[in-house]
Amino acid sequence: MSRWFRVTAIALLSAAALAHASDSPVDAQAPGVLLSRQLAARAHVSIGDTVTFAADPEGTRRVTLRVAGIYEPTPDPMRFTAQRLEAHLHLPDLVALVADGADPAAREAVDAINVKLTDPGDAARFGAELAARAPGVAVTPTSRARDDDPFAVLDRFHVAISAVTVIGATAFLLALMVIRAEERRDTVAILRLIGISRRSLLAAVAIEGLLIAVVGAIFGVLTAFAAEGLVNRVFQARYDTALVFLRVTPSIALRSVAIALPLGVAAGIGASWPLLRGEILSLFRR
Amino acid sequence: MTSLWLAWRTTKRYRVRAVLAVVGVAVIGALLFDMLLLSRGLLASFADLLNSGGFDVRIVGSEGMPIVRLPIAGSTRLANELRALPEVRDVVLIRIERATLWSNERTSRPVTLVGTTQASGGPYTIVRGDDLPRDSSFDRCPILVSRHLAASLGVEPGSSVKISVNPDGVRSALPAVSCRVTGVVNFFFASAGENSVATTMTALQQALSEPAVDADLILAASQPATGPAAAVRAIHRVRPDLRAYSNEDVVALFNQNGFAYFRQISFVLSSLTTVFAFLLVATLLTVSVNQRLGEIAALRALGISRGRIASILLWESALLVGGGALLALPLGGLLALGLDHLLRQMPGLPERLHFFVFQWRAVATHAALFGVTAAAAAAYPMWLTARLPIAATLRREVVG
Repeated sequence: MSRWFRVTAIALLSAAALAHASDSPVDAQAPGVLLSRQLAARAHVSIGDTVTFAADPEGTRRVTLRVAGIYEPTPDPMRFTAQRLEAHLHLPDLVALVADGADPAAREAVDAINVKLTDPGDAARFGAELAARAPGVAVTPTSRARDDDPFAVLDRFHVAISAVTVIGATAFLLALMVIRAEERRDTVAILRLIGISRRSLLAAVAIEGLLIAVVGAIFGVLTAFAAEGLVNRVFQARYDTALVFLRVTPSIALRSVAIALPLGVAAGIGASWPLLRGEILSLFRR
Repeated sequence: MTSLWLAWRTTKRYRVRAVLAVVGVAVIGALLFDMLLLSRGLLASFADLLNSGGFDVRIVGSEGMPIVRLPIAGSTRLANELRALPEVRDVVLIRIERATLWSNERTSRPVTLVGTTQASGGPYTIVRGDDLPRDSSFDRCPILVSRHLAASLGVEPGSSVKISVNPDGVRSALPAVSCRVTGVVNFFFASAGENSVATTMTALQQALSEPAVDADLILAASQPATGPAAAVRAIHRVRPDLRAYSNEDVVALFNQNGFAYFRQISFVLSSLTTVFAFLLVATLLTVSVNQRLGEIAALRALGISRGRIASILLWESALLVGGGALLALPLGGLLALGLDHLLRQMPGLPERLHFFVFQWRAVATHAALFGVTAAAAAAYPMWLTARLPIAATLRREVVG
């Protein structure tokens, strides 16, 4: 039974060597092709199978190729929802398949040329020079400037959301600490009555806030580490991609702890401050 | 004294913790409200943008709007055939090319050049000057320039400029043609910093030095009586090799592909913020009830029923959550303005596109979620007080 798929065919000069290397002597007559994992799974083909590629739905221009390998497409966050039904062909095979026979120049045409510069800093100069030599050729650097990167914008968006969450969490923490301080009103009054200094009580409150913040931060980081694998597996399965959606790096974990600790201490001191500052008798409601 | 009044008195008595709880709920609620706005905001804004041009069907030569556009062979003849369809009211041809605009010998800018057969009322608002003329016999190359381009080159309506087209994938050095700026406009689909120019199809044909120019996008307006779906079917019967999409189709395609990230983050953050608000209020109420067990046992001993106590706690929860949720709306609105400004810095986005769009549906969902949160947060403290042994609690609280 034959199955038809609409496939993005890519030809890379560098891919040709890879495909040839895996050609076995038995079926060396059929040129090799690399299929994406998704395409191989959808088409139910495996290494060594023979597949037919056609440039039109009628199959008038076709070529038969042997599956030399199956690859995982490089994850692309800009296209993670796209179905990666892709194949890598030898450049001459693809040109032979799609080139217009009536146009001799078509066999010389490619969509894009990737150039690796000796000095990446020369990109602008190289682009200007090439544009002057070959009018109509668009030269685009593969690296983006920070201002032109959509992921830099998303990064700022995430930071803004984090900041709002931190503000909400701080109010929550402060409310809990206020309740806790109220609970210990009599204890604080007695401690102050027997001569424990405000400074000592303040230190005790600060240390308690610090301990709560440390435990909370460690719990939060451990939860994030545990969620990392789960979230990635869910979304990778959902979009059939190897893209990593969530990564808890040591720097992110450290940043979370660094924010949590001073907030915990400040919340502890802030909530207990009215008890420590006021007159002792007022603590006994006198 | 009603349960609401008693709840209000309790809230006032513990005002510091109540204010902090309301602030916490308001901040988290603002984030929830924003995520609800985001969940459909970009789609609503995108649909509004598509509908703003007055055309509800888009025809392209390739699959997958609107990434790759292939010229549609015989588009002028096709446009005439489409105009004859009873389901179609109007048809406009569009061709987009990269070009260079020269304001003088030394100053130039790369521009997106849009050739259109639509003489007036295109997808732009005129800032200064006039629209493209209906009759191009007097003006061979009239152009409209974007505000950003006009400011950057210092051109105004009446200025003369030169344009040379750089067609994609073609190695050519077409001669520059002289054009006259008729107006400065805000293009609906252009990004903030984009240099865009619109001209007539005849002028573009001249700039391309071609006897006939095929459009790479055809816009059609359906007859109101039949609607866009019928127009799409009719167009497909005329040219089965082309792809025709109604605006709804384009929005659905966008929702499926381009909008996935925002849909996911909106869903995840909405869920998290709701859980967070529930935890906040439930914890505060539980701790607060634990502090007041003696007081509650005394009220029960005085003859106040379990139901009444539960009702007081439910009202306390409603006051904290309701107060926070109400504050969350204006706070969320302000936050949405900031977040929208931040996200709209993404390169290449149309200037008129917004991520956060106010919808009553979001307000209703916000209210419903917080209603459920208030009830759920009060459930455990209510259960705790319902099974409170009066005598044992009084003894423990008083003697202890």
